[in-house]
Amino acid sequence: MATAAHLELGQKGALDRPVPTSPGTDWRKLFGLREMGVYYALVLLIVILAIITTYLDRSNYLSLLNLSNVVYQSSLIAIMAVAMTVVLISGNFDLSVASVAAFAAVLLIGNADALGFWPAAALAMIAAMGIGLLNGVIVQYVGINAFIVTLGTMTAVRGLVLIYTDGRSLSASDVGVIETMKAIEGGRHDAFWLVVAAGVVLLALSLTSLFRVYRAGSALRPSAVGMAIGGIALLLIGWASGGELVLRNPVIYMGIFTASVWFVLSFTMVGRRVYAVGGNPEAARLSGINVMKYKLMAFVFCSGAAGVAGILFASRLRSINPAGLQGAELTVIAAAILGGTSLFGGAGSVVKTLAGALLLYSLTNGFNIMNLGANWQGLIEGIVVVVAAAIYTVGGNKMKSKTGG
Amino acid sequence: MQPVQPIMQLRGVVKSFPNGTLALRGVDLDIEPGKVHGLLGANGAGKSTLIKILSGAYHATLGEIIWRGNPVSWDSPRAANDMGVATIHQHIPLVPTLSVLENIFLGSRGRWRRSSAVNVQFEELCRRVGYWLDPATLVSSLSIGQRQMVSILQALGTGADLIVMDEPTASLASEERELVYSAVRRLSAGENKAILFVSHFLDEVISLTDKVTVLRDGKAVLRAETADLDESQLAEAIVGKQIAALERESEQRGARASSSSGDRALLELRDLASPGRLDPVSLNVASGEVVGIAGLLGSGRTELLHAIYGSDNRATGSVVVNGSSIARSPGAAVKAGIGLVPEDRMAQGLVPDFEIWRNITLPALNGVSRFNSLPVAERERERGWEAIRLLSIRADSPEILVKELSGGNAQKVTIAKWLFSDVKLFLLDEPTAGIDIGAKTEILRLIRQLAAEGKAVIIVSSEFEELLAVCDRIIVMRDGRCVAERHVHETTEHDLLLLAGGQQAPLDTAHS
Repeated sequence: MATAAHLELGQKGALDRPVPTSPGTDWRKLFGLREMGVYYALVLLIVILAIITTYLDRSNYLSLLNLSNVVYQSSLIAIMAVAMTVVLISGNFDLSVASVAAFAAVLLIGNADALGFWPAAALAMIAAMGIGLLNGVIVQYVGINAFIVTLGTMTAVRGLVLIYTDGRSLSASDVGVIETMKAIEGGRHDAFWLVVAAGVVLLALSLTSLFRVYRAGSALRPSAVGMAIGGIALLLIGWASGGELVLRNPVIYMGIFTASVWFVLSFTMVGRRVYAVGGNPEAARLSGINVMKYKLMAFVFCSGAAGVAGILFASRLRSINPAGLQGAELTVIAAAILGGTSLFGGAGSVVKTLAGALLLYSLTNGFNIMNLGANWQGLIEGIVVVVAAAIYTVGGNKMKSKTGG
Repeated sequence: MQPVQPIMQLRGVVKSFPNGTLALRGVDLDIEPGKVHGLLGANGAGKSTLIKILSGAYHATLGEIIWRGNPVSWDSPRAANDMGVATIHQHIPLVPTLSVLENIFLGSRGRWRRSSAVNVQFEELCRRVGYWLDPATLVSSLSIGQRQMVSILQALGTGADLIVMDEPTASLASEERELVYSAVRRLSAGENKAILFVSHFLDEVISLTDKVTVLRDGKAVLRAETADLDESQLAEAIVGKQIAALERESEQRGARASSSSGDRALLELRDLASPGRLDPVSLNVASGEVVGIAGLLGSGRTELLHAIYGSDNRATGSVVVNGSSIARSPGAAVKAGIGLVPEDRMAQGLVPDFEIWRNITLPALNGVSRFNSLPVAERERERGWEAIRLLSIRADSPEILVKELSGGNAQKVTIAKWLFSDVKLFLLDEPTAGIDIGAKTEILRLIRQLAAEGKAVIIVSSEFEELLAVCDRIIVMRDGRCVAERHVHETTEHDLLLLAGGQQAPLDTAHS
């Protein structure tokens, strides 16, 4: 393997330049709005709501019960948003997620009685991933803009739902099926040890990174700081729960899913290539990356996740209304935007998207607790999304002008 | 015969930039109405700077610009336009989504988007230029040649008396060139316009222009009537008589060139072609050999590299590396040990939002990963540091985003990508474009070192001086074809210039 070490070119600083040393950690950028804004907003929101609800003497907002309820409510959207983030990073767009989820839900309920839960679920997943493949093929091979293609599939698949259900609601009636659904979606587990273990692992990873940085004197990476904070947060949650942290299954699925996607995106070659494909598809192609394959995979992955969300949704209600999840795609995208995902591709963080989803649902939850009319929710959510995007854009521009180049 | 008063005169124009570059060192230029004035010079001689000053985009640091007998100082291209100077830039800036008519009258200040007066004016312009096309056509559906004609109509439409044309025929097919030539002749002879015609093609300049000015190193070194010159003299003026130090090195290397015939070729191209852009090429390159591709803009050099690399999926023919034919995709090429440094570094060579280290490791993640799937952060940063050290990249750390680097440094990152894996063949497309002279030399030395280690290099460059310094063999391309092949010690820059832009050209000189 050529290490190129013997190509002794600029060693003596051919043009009298000093050997570059690494700068210290840019703490301001690290903790600035662009990197951590969504977390600040989430914490701020929770604090504000806690204060208001205590002042208004409403039910205990800050209780573990209420908070875990918020997380439960957001779990399905969060799963879809995490997968959507992957599609956005790869430089594409998928408006069809909610329709695909609804379709998967309908296929599950419609067929579970006849085929049994698992075969029906498999059918739903195949259909969902098939739609993802269709999206990908049309976008990449025909060359139509992803926004337009998925707008089309969104409408068409919703139409399929209507055709399949004949406009009526469907329910599952088989006892065995219902039991499975309850177990999958409604089951609860004590996630205390899982959370503590995750916290410890994160903290350990970040500490080793910190140690290496301290020895080498190089800059601290945002991911290391993020992991440290995340690890501490998880441990705090574990401590606050007092030894028993009972969470409903979808929350656990969401957590494991987000953690896995985060791992792949941040630590693996595959993840690196996804970012490259979105950041500059031509440069990625000329570096030998199979851009087509990655973009297609992103679509299939996203629709697959939507399929899973649909199955969970159906299992939650044990029945499905053909208009189920309608409009959810906008919440999914809003969560990704709040998380700082770039709509042009090449940048995004699934953990921040998760925070974005939690933010949106905390808002809703807060409204409910304060008995603020449902009419106000849309307005406030819309304002939040625009403000968040503004902060990211302005923050990004300031960063550009500071460093010149 | 009454002497004609020049419509535009430059007297001692000097242009220096804040970073210290002295682009023009006192240029004198006289452009007369009714004549076609050719402007030539190598890359970096100061042509573009001069054009920008004429068009009003730059201010001259020193010297005078005399327009119609009065000294002027333009604030903006708009001001220059209003005074009567129109510039047709090299990469024709038309709006693709608007029609021909709307583009031609883009700068006009009328209130309505469409009016009958404008249509009448359009017909008039077409008559004067001697070229007509449907005014309602969208520019996006026009060929490059047609767009060039539209920009000529646009320039005339502004009422200009001096039209500056920057390399108008680069990338044009020969019939399209003829259209441009006849338009130029009509405008100068028929309308008494002054035309400044910038070109690299010597044959074109000889047949089309009345006077010629050659720039070299920021000064006008030759000002003459075209009738008194031939291509060879022009080439000499452009190149100058000095031989660069690196060229001397290449003479010392002369003996080696003939000894490589014994080795089996590392790369074999068999009838490699791309319909419409590249005629069939068959070529062998041995390991340790540096082959240069010389040619002007539009000669098919980049197309050749992309065909070899597999990134052009319309290509036909086969590419054989070390005896095995490789599939037509960049992924296959990379696996076979080929690396490409593309022409446009920001659009094709780098991911702008990635840091230096992330760009460097992109084609060769295997070398820095555990279990072939998990990149190790420390090893990646190390590669970044090594790249910075090796190529003297002016960056404080590999964590800097490449979009914040200057052009030359970004280019070095694009090259460094390929130095850390088992690349056997380097395809370099204008690798020293936009790099300062010190760094250029470093890169050229790097190329020689790679060759010394047994790598093969194919380098495309429009600076023939460089090719002579670093290559063993040079292939000249023109119009998508290989027109000549020379061993480096049997040719000179002058010779290459003639081959690339001169003699072989099928230009009909009977018209003028």
